[in-house]
Amino acid sequence: MKRIAVAVAFAACALGAAAQQPPAAGQNPRDVVPDKMPFDVPYGAPVSLDRAQAAINAAVAESKKRGWKMNVAVVDSGANLVAFARMDGAQLGSIAIAEHKARAAAKFRRETKLFESGIQEGNLHYLLTLDDVIASRGGILIIDNGQIAGAVGCSGGTGSQDEVACKAAIEAVTKR
Amino acid sequence: MKQRPMLTLEDCKKITAAAEAEARRNNWNVCIAILDDGGHLLHLARMDGATPANSRIAVEKGRTAAETRRSTANWQERVAKRTELLRMPGVTPVQGGLPIVVDGTCVGGVGISGVQSHEDEQIAAAGIKALG
Repeated sequence: MKRIAVAVAFAACALGAAAQQPPAAGQNPRDVVPDKMPFDVPYGAPVSLDRAQAAINAAVAESKKRGWKMNVAVVDSGANLVAFARMDGAQLGSIAIAEHKARAAAKFRRETKLFESGIQEGNLHYLLTLDDVIASRGGILIIDNGQIAGAVGCSGGTGSQDEVACKAAIEAVTKR
Repeated sequence: MKQRPMLTLEDCKKITAAAEAEARRNNWNVCIAILDDGGHLLHLARMDGATPANSRIAVEKGRTAAETRRSTANWQERVAKRTELLRMPGVTPVQGGLPIVVDGTCVGGVGISGVQSHEDEQIAAAGIKALG
């Protein structure tokens, strides 16, 4: 019962569901039809190489400060690789994961953390069957004036460490 | 115990900066990829105006050079004479990829994509030169 409640909460959040129409008792929460599209963020102009490198430098600086070894990838608004850096001693397996996280964030227009929590807390296992999903935090969008410019993906440590590095990158290149 | 030199992130930044400068001097927009001696990506920079395909191709040229310890131009020449070499797995036989050789040891490769193949190689060479 509790699980279902959490699942409903995630579905409402993930799908931007009409909160005014909670599913009736016994109804499959995924049968609810929300009025609006979820994560309806337009794809905008691609991030420049300068900003992509600034994002990477920030993630690397934050990781260095903490003694972490990260792989950091930046993709543009078309989810294609713009810049990448592997810190000295970072694990090889995370090269592909860093790019995958960035790509998935851009392709699905949301943080990859939402896939992780959807599966772990929301019990939405079907998310793993969607093409090119990666259910691990550390992939975050670069948004310019409400439009997607690209995304950053970090991998090498725990998901929580990856996310810290990723947030440092986003913080450094977000226009105010 | 045998020791081997390894590229650091600082080395990669040096190579990329020099390659990028060479490209800019000529008004070229390219992608610069650096891979280690195992063919694993270390560093990538796609200049504004270069295409998504340039990212992929630069990585594959660099991987070919790093893993086979020879330039992709060499592969291109050999493929021209022996077509069957096109079947070599994991080889991109198009000029623009160079191995990075330090003290006789291959420590990785640089791949460039974006302009004419010989120009791509010119950029790769300028990048490697910056290592000293």
